[in-house]
Amino acid sequence: MTRRGFDAETAGVDDDQATWIDYDGGLQAVAEGGRVAVLHGGGSDVPDDVDSPFLGLVEAPSGPREGKNGSTARRDTTQLTVEPTGRILAAPNADSDRNGAALPGADALDPPTGASRVREPGDRPAADRTLPAQPTRKTERAVARTQEAPPPHGRSPLGKIPRPRHRDRDPAVELAITEIAGHLTFTPNSVTAWYWLPEVRWAFRPDAEREALLSAISEQYAGLAGFRIHLRRTTRPFPADQWARVVDAHAPNPLPAVPGAPSWSDHLVAAQRHLLSVNHAEGQTYLGITFARRTLGDTFSEKVGRLFGKGVSGGERRRMARTIEQFDEVLGAFGMRGRRVTVEELEWLLYRSVALCMQPPVALSPVDNGTWERGDLLALTEQIERYRTPYGSTVKLVNRMTGEERHVAVLTVGRMEPLDIPERHEPWMHFHERLPWAMELSSRVDILGPSDSFRNLEHRLRLIRSQQVDYAEHGIDAPPELERLAKRALTIGDDITTGLPVDSSRAHGWHRIAVSGRTREECLERARRLTQLYSREMRISLQHPKNQDWLAREFIPGEPLANTGYLRRMPIKLFAAALPQAASTVGDRRGDLIGRTAGTCRRPVFLDLHFPMEVRERSGLAVFVAEPGGGKSTLLGALGYLAARRGVQVTLLDPSGPLARLCSMPELAPYSRVLNLTGSEQGTLAPYALIPTPQRSHFTTGPSGDREFEIAVSNARAERRMLVQDICMMLVPPQVAREASTATLLRHAVRQVPAEETSTLDDVVTLLHSIGDDESRELGNLLLDTAEMPLATLFFGSPASGALSSDTALTVITMAGLRLPDLKIEREYWSAEESLALPMLHTAHRLAVRRCYSGEMHRRKLVGLDEAHFMEGWRSGRSFLVRLARDSRKWNLAALVASQNPRDILGLDVQNLVSSVFVGRIAEDTEIAAEALRLLRVPTGVGYEQTLAALSQVDASSQARLGFREFVMRDVDGRVQKLRVDVSYVPDLLKYLDTTPTAAGPAPVLPPIQPHDPED
Amino acid sequence: MRLRTDDDIYRARLVYLGPPGYTLPVQLPYAQYGLFVLLVPFYMFLHWLLTFQGPDLFPAWEIALAMVTTSLVFRYVDPDRPARMVIRTALTDWRHTREPRHEQRDARFVARRIRIREELG
Repeated sequence: MTRRGFDAETAGVDDDQATWIDYDGGLQAVAEGGRVAVLHGGGSDVPDDVDSPFLGLVEAPSGPREGKNGSTARRDTTQLTVEPTGRILAAPNADSDRNGAALPGADALDPPTGASRVREPGDRPAADRTLPAQPTRKTERAVARTQEAPPPHGRSPLGKIPRPRHRDRDPAVELAITEIAGHLTFTPNSVTAWYWLPEVRWAFRPDAEREALLSAISEQYAGLAGFRIHLRRTTRPFPADQWARVVDAHAPNPLPAVPGAPSWSDHLVAAQRHLLSVNHAEGQTYLGITFARRTLGDTFSEKVGRLFGKGVSGGERRRMARTIEQFDEVLGAFGMRGRRVTVEELEWLLYRSVALCMQPPVALSPVDNGTWERGDLLALTEQIERYRTPYGSTVKLVNRMTGEERHVAVLTVGRMEPLDIPERHEPWMHFHERLPWAMELSSRVDILGPSDSFRNLEHRLRLIRSQQVDYAEHGIDAPPELERLAKRALTIGDDITTGLPVDSSRAHGWHRIAVSGRTREECLERARRLTQLYSREMRISLQHPKNQDWLAREFIPGEPLANTGYLRRMPIKLFAAALPQAASTVGDRRGDLIGRTAGTCRRPVFLDLHFPMEVRERSGLAVFVAEPGGGKSTLLGALGYLAARRGVQVTLLDPSGPLARLCSMPELAPYSRVLNLTGSEQGTLAPYALIPTPQRSHFTTGPSGDREFEIAVSNARAERRMLVQDICMMLVPPQVAREASTATLLRHAVRQVPAEETSTLDDVVTLLHSIGDDESRELGNLLLDTAEMPLATLFFGSPASGALSSDTALTVITMAGLRLPDLKIEREYWSAEESLALPMLHTAHRLAVRRCYSGEMHRRKLVGLDEAHFMEGWRSGRSFLVRLARDSRKWNLAALVASQNPRDILGLDVQNLVSSVFVGRIAEDTEIAAEALRLLRVPTGVGYEQTLAALSQVDASSQARLGFREFVMRDVDGRVQKLRVDVSYVPDLLKYLDTTPTAAGPAPVLPPIQPHDPED
Repeated sequence: MRLRTDDDIYRARLVYLGPPGYTLPVQLPYAQYGLFVLLVPFYMFLHWLLTFQGPDLFPAWEIALAMVTTSLVFRYVDPDRPARMVIRTALTDWRHTREPRHEQRDARFVARRIRIREELG
């Protein structure tokens, strides 16, 4: 696999090889020929450590194919969409209706031929691929024989097949479950009620909140005392196509296609491919409570009922209704917030459990408009063959229909050392998500109430005491551990008898983790890595027992327990702290793909910067804070690019200028413009004209609207005056600016000049001269002196009309060549150019925003302001940001403000108006890190400062530049998560965004040394 | 919160020291004696099946075999691996002691007969 040539300094490169997709521009060929873009490095070239059942969902890279459906996401030339299971449809018909969302139905059900054929594992024998779809007893045996010994090349396969030494057992065994009724499952002996546990947020929450959550869950488990529960966690692939449809629906006017550049459809397809290739899986947690023993009469009446097509009798079901309501009450409260599962979800769970760790069925998993009937999914279990070897370490599953082969190793939780949750350790059944492949969990647990726990423990204590007495009677010294254990048993017994039920309940259970791979070696290697990770980080010893087939069967609801070994007995709180439903989602699900979470699990992160205004009715102010080199400019540019593609009017202010390169990207070039202020005309930054006059049409009609309008007009005037005073103060020498009379004179003069857009700084100078006072005349002269500098002419005079037209999708304002001052140095020591840079930056910020006020009010707009720390310390700076935050909702304006120091934002006191925060690496100063945490609203002083310092950490042993950037992100809903920016799916974007000075020419190709992932 | 399991209490090694007044030279867990007691009649039954002769007065061979079997089984037994699991695995997988090349097909688990009802009532 080759890696596309971009520079490592730029953010967004994942450490996983799987994400390094080499885009060859083939999408254009797709547009012309109706074929799918060729991706180098997807599918079977994916490296070992990112494989999962879902990787098979990505199309084989070398197989361009044609879709059958003519429906698609866009109406322009390339009609492409990726189906949820990874099939990517390409419809050459340019007239397709965009509303005809890609229907996966018809061709999805076809056997694996043509477009819907699923990629087969590379190591499968060829004979397996020719298996017929319709099984018969004969073919089943043939399959078994074929699996036993793949024929060597060049010989007759029949000659080499060994004769089976024993007969197969019954080729099919029915599951124990006989009926699903609503959320209940019936086996001949028991009834289980199933609940869906939604994901809970864990990362970056204060410990007090986490403890409250764990306590609430413990109480809920304690409320289930006396029952056996089955906790199952499975996964489903991320529904990339649904996301693409949503994005498309929220982008009514994307940028028109440019010949020779990827169109909007190509862009979406690339994003979907990327999503599928990086193997994002969403966790699903189910909780089953086995609560009723069925009597012989119940089973008999069910059998009789089945003869008449009725099943479980109504009386039996009604009898359970009361108990089930109690479960609803217990589980629905704060903590687990469980809800009853639907029949579809139970079917899904059953299928996923039989086909453990295998690829989900084609076209079913994430589809909400398919034509599947009830029970179809269960019927698919017939296709799953199971193979075992005596004393085998894995069990092999083969899907006879698709030819998929999967080796599964089931690990069980062995000895556990004490854990500090939440202070030091993560939830112990959530921890496995650190590894980049999907795994399945199953816990069978008996919840013991206080009396059962005590009885159990007392029995054990008696045994220990008896052993001690034995030793005494035989005159032998008892091992000291006996005394220690007896003391511990006494203490626990005391806790049980005197404590609350939540402290005294116990969870005795078996916890299994299923790891899978395409080959047995891969599966065992993954099992080894998982075991190692658990042993190193969690001090939990994962064991790999024999009888893997029984253990794998245990994952299926209703099936018996595999073995009684590795029984873990723990307080209910420790079991609650397993928390398999913990997740680290952040962002919205309707925005552009910007990366993935990088904390305890890997989830895609989407960000629509207009989501806060349009849905949450919050301000659109987003703040980016990082040390220099932290990647904030690149992220800003990437967000600007993605927004511009969606048709948002984007204005980026980048004083240093590298973002101007965005405008030369082929897809943006016709719709973008660079405005270099250092070469602009006189009056471009005239302060009076930078504050727009409100228009009456933007307010409601009627007296209240009149009043609001008048207030807005007055506010605009006041703001102009404030800005002009500040700009004048910045223009005059600092010694003069410090004198009290200067401020008075300026205020007086500015008051006299009409605060309208048409006024100019020249009017202020004229008025200062006309006062007649020496001091005022001198002040006027000082301002005129400044005006002699070429750059200062930008402030004087009136701006040319149409300097910033609103029709360009992307405008980048730069100040190329201008040297920005160091704010730590006193102003007296600044050079003349540096002194001018300050008012220029102030007014440039205004100019960037001014453009947003000129268009339609509800049109989506985005303004990105780099180097916002220059605004701090000036009245007008704070009022600017406050106004920006307040207007952002009204004007549908997403404002991105980047700064090197969180103090700049906190100093402006606008943090309450900030909706999203991105904090990059801050390693130099823990105080600054603490302030960044305040911005994120994360507790300070509990170790999160180190998290910020560890972001985007460089491997000291590597000579290569860091290939990715990490941020901690707080979204509009207050969720905080570590984010690894990854926009590598956009061809060449990172190359254009590279801000590192060494890469002046063509961006060098990175050496093949991969950045080491600390999690791996 | 510091959370720990109760497993260590259940992991205590309980051994039979001998009858009162006499200490056995070796101390073995109670479970080993239990298995030994079960295995002796089992081997006696096997002996009877092979020879159709009544039990000996002192079943020396049976006792010896039961001791060997017990010690073999308990080489693999620990608190997390109960004796019955070790015996069950040995009985099902006795053919090989390491990963063999051949695999055998197991019964499929199928969900053909599950009846589905949308609502409970």
